[in-house]
Amino acid sequence: MSAQSDLNSFGAIFAFAIDLESRLRDYYTAAGDPGKAADADKRRTTLERVRRENVTEIKLEPIEGLDSADFAVDLAEPSAEGMAKNAAIAARFYESAAPKLNVREAQRALERAGRAHRG
Amino acid sequence: MVEILKQYIGGAWVESSATGSTPVINPATCEVLAHVPDGGREDVNRAAAAATAAFDDWRRTPLLSRAQYMFRFKDLLENRFEDLAEAIVKENGKTRDEARGEVRRGIESVDFAVSVPSIMRGYKVEDISSGIDETAERQPIGVFAAITPFNFPMMVPMWFLPTAITTGNTYIMKPSPQTPLSMQLVYELLDELDLPEGVVNLVHGGKEAAMAVMEHPDIAGVSFVGSTPVARLVYEVCAKHGKRVQAQGGAKNYIAVMPDADIGASVANIMGSAFGCAGQRCLAGSVVVAVGAAYEPLKAELLKRASGLRVGYGMQETSQMGTVISPAARERIEAMITQAETNGAQPILDGRGKTIDGFEQGSFVGPTILDGVERDMPIAKEEVFGPVLAIMRADSFDEAVEIINESKFGNAASLFTSSGRDAREFKYRVKAGNIGINVGVAAATASFPFGGQKDSFFGDLHGQGLDSIEFFTDKKILIERWF
Repeated sequence: MSAQSDLNSFGAIFAFAIDLESRLRDYYTAAGDPGKAADADKRRTTLERVRRENVTEIKLEPIEGLDSADFAVDLAEPSAEGMAKNAAIAARFYESAAPKLNVREAQRALERAGRAHRG
Repeated sequence: MVEILKQYIGGAWVESSATGSTPVINPATCEVLAHVPDGGREDVNRAAAAATAAFDDWRRTPLLSRAQYMFRFKDLLENRFEDLAEAIVKENGKTRDEARGEVRRGIESVDFAVSVPSIMRGYKVEDISSGIDETAERQPIGVFAAITPFNFPMMVPMWFLPTAITTGNTYIMKPSPQTPLSMQLVYELLDELDLPEGVVNLVHGGKEAAMAVMEHPDIAGVSFVGSTPVARLVYEVCAKHGKRVQAQGGAKNYIAVMPDADIGASVANIMGSAFGCAGQRCLAGSVVVAVGAAYEPLKAELLKRASGLRVGYGMQETSQMGTVISPAARERIEAMITQAETNGAQPILDGRGKTIDGFEQGSFVGPTILDGVERDMPIAKEEVFGPVLAIMRADSFDEAVEIINESKFGNAASLFTSSGRDAREFKYRVKAGNIGINVGVAAATASFPFGGQKDSFFGDLHGQGLDSIEFFTDKKILIERWF
């Protein structure tokens, strides 16, 4: 557990997730898979809404033990294998991050995104 | 060229009559964000005239139509959510999450105002005498105003304005001159609503404008949130001028931790209470009273977690604590830490002299924990309004309650325990308006009144919830018979 983890707050986790889905949307578009791109974009907008609606001021607590470096995707690799690998990384991120949040609706959104990446 | 803020009066953006202005400064970067006019009596007079002129037509607007404005207002606030949060971070110094939380809480007050048609009802009894019926009707009163603080520049104004106008009153807002930008943005959204001219008005300024609000004969009621000396003054002046008034003052909030508490979960929550918004919250936990054997593990865990807090510019998503409001606030807070040390307290974590790379001039104070604090020390009794947590010891639950009830303030108090019996006793006996059980920030949601007792509140009806319906309406009694 590192006190200097960079995904150390509700907002940091959601900012990372929103950015991840934005990049995946562009990646799937470039790889010629508009269906996956649309799914990523829908997850992005859902995450933005969930962040907005569920940031609960009285329950903001520091979060420990999550680093963005552990969830780096390789967007230069557009093969089916590369996509599967990136989806697995994204799923692992959501599965690691969800239990760190203390607002159920926010947890649920991350869990759902994780399941979507697992297919 | 830095903008001089305009005022919103009678449905238009207008320049202040004041010749002077004050810079609005980002407390992390020291950038001048805008200049706020030093408005005064003339500006308040114009706003009051516009609000007075608008009142009759507005109160005759059907309640359901007034509520529809709130649905659209909510939509606009949601669309500009991140912009509002960013404005708060820049003018106030808190973190993005804290600012987002504030905007969320502000929108919740708009959600509440949407419910006004369901809760503004009167009541009626038939046949109080033969053939005679009696009815109590709620009516709006006229022009209301708010004088609001720097620490929640968007949320606190929203406690009042949406309910006030949905109940049929007209409004004047005077935000803190230190943090006027988020309210400026809120008024841009109110302007988009196309409300009738004069229903909502915005004036800027400091003490002179505030006095003008309190003394104006056409303003029926005033809501205030700020320090205790000013809250007391607002209460006295408004009462002298025949106004309704609700004035929330300062606080010294105690958190008692019992030996049976879950220390890890408790400390995680206490961190948010003590150091959230850099301690500049009227619900901030300021003194932890460790009961008996809770002391050692609590102290160790507090120290460990607070030492790991990342202090930085609020716009950076990884910052867990931002700045205090100004260099003057930093100096005052640091002086209180020094005084506490002189009095015998031990700073086991010392946030004085905190600097952040890239923001060397920023008003940062690091998280500070003072151990060995005794009941008679000023640090145990006076409001700090900064990221400073004092640790006191109590031998028993009863002594902890006694320490808490000694305070002249009565805003909030929390207990961390696994005992239902202690929780009930705490709630029952502690003289504070907001009680948290295993919750360090006992903040009332929009449909509940924001409590406050002793020197933390002056008035009868609190902000928010059903109290706000009472505050913004009068009950007229109708006794009728038909021949």
